Amino acid sequence: MSVETVPQAPVHPAGADNRVVVDGTPLTWRDLPELILPEPAAVLVHSARYALAAARHHAAHGTELLLSTASRVDAAMRDDLRDTGFVVTELGAQTTGEAVTTGTRTAERGRLWLLTSGSTGRPKRVGHTLESLTTVRGQQPARTWLCPYAPGTYAWWQVVTLSLTQPGQHLVVVEPDQLDDWPALAAEHGVDAASGTPTFWRRALHRDPDGLARVPLRQLTLGGEPVDQTILDRLREVFPAARISWIYASSEVGAAIVVHDGQAGFPADWLDREVAGRPTIGVRDGELVITSPYHGAGLDGPVRTGDRAQLVGDRVLITGRLDADEINVGGSKVSAGLVRDVLTAHPQVAWARVTGRRAPLLGHMVVAEVVPTGGVADPRPVPAEAMVDEATLVRWCADQLPEYAVPRRIRVLTEIPVKETLKSDV
Amino acid sequence: MKELSRAQIRDLMGEVLKNQGKALPSDDAADLREIGFRSLDFSELALRVEDATGEELNFDAPGLRRITTVGDVLDFLVELQRQ
Repeated sequence: MSVETVPQAPVHPAGADNRVVVDGTPLTWRDLPELILPEPAAVLVHSARYALAAARHHAAHGTELLLSTASRVDAAMRDDLRDTGFVVTELGAQTTGEAVTTGTRTAERGRLWLLTSGSTGRPKRVGHTLESLTTVRGQQPARTWLCPYAPGTYAWWQVVTLSLTQPGQHLVVVEPDQLDDWPALAAEHGVDAASGTPTFWRRALHRDPDGLARVPLRQLTLGGEPVDQTILDRLREVFPAARISWIYASSEVGAAIVVHDGQAGFPADWLDREVAGRPTIGVRDGELVITSPYHGAGLDGPVRTGDRAQLVGDRVLITGRLDADEINVGGSKVSAGLVRDVLTAHPQVAWARVTGRRAPLLGHMVVAEVVPTGGVADPRPVPAEAMVDEATLVRWCADQLPEYAVPRRIRVLTEIPVKETLKSDV
Repeated sequence: MKELSRAQIRDLMGEVLKNQGKALPSDDAADLREIGFRSLDFSELALRVEDATGEELNFDAPGLRRITTVGDVLDFLVELQRQ
């Protein structure tokens, strides 16, 4: 179908008058285009404006909706969506979409579909509702939130539902082409709360720490990837008075763990604690298992997350995906996440990725990629004696890790890699 | 295919040992156990050769048991590149 617009809908969510900055232009939710959508609709967007418009449409009309960026949905997945009764519609590009206005099945009113991040293969559909995605309730202090996430992801919906449902929760949207310079945009529009992956924060610290410090942040949230102590500490140095939180959330189990004490991991005494209305967190065979009231459709009961959890002292650390985190070096098991944490704790390392590489005799060896500190916005040359090199980092790791866990090949990159999901590895 | 010379592999072996705080003796007859060149070091050296040549090496595991000196390592890797 071609995209049509109609006059303002009569029903607006509670946050309709909140400010929404899109493409640098301040609007309100009411000012976004009013869409006519087929049902059930798979809306693939090319711009944040239409993603927000589709979200508001759902909030006002309850249209069954799957929302994603167009780039995440390939031709095969579009066919799958059509086969399951969706009308696939692209918004925000010079495309006319499909010439049908109704799906091949009855729509499920109020249903929202999310696509998983696809870290374990092709993205899967997980069913939610606006209610199950709205995990921040009760009176909140007025905030202007940065929204850097890709439309339709769980983290995007978290920020969007907050602004849609609560007056005083404003949004400043970061388009992909603004991602490198978001601190300037955020400072201009008074952003005082921001949520992003550790990779997102590391890039900001790496590229332009002075620019980041000019953003008047009072709330910083990290999630979507393992959160280590170093990134929490570095953000604390820049924002000594802000609340810094990390959150464990996924499409499948919703927002399950929220930690505000500035420490990596969560207290071990939270394990297996049953509190009405709250998720129950467990560790089974080294895997994080969550039973959550915010789960996706059909995912009630304990959900094996696929994430590795390790008890370190009185904290439980989530170190990475089970299938990627464990590296077998000649029969000795190494956690890539823990090695990564050692590398990023080096004062001259801004970012690190640790993987296993096939090697003779041992099966695999630990290898790494790192980005040294010294922001790309900093034109001052780094003295040769201050340049971090492979040998320095090998010695640093050797002082803290068993010999088999020390990365033996360390490649130095100039820029922190990031995907559309704001993660490095997915 | 790019192939490393014996001398180039020796240089890489020296780098591996240097990163471990050890030195590579000039004598090819030096015993690997005495200089502290172990399986982790051997594997790292193999990865360095692979990185330098852009080719994955195909190891013949039984042959590894005959390697006891610096010269054995160098000969083995030179030979392996040709297989």
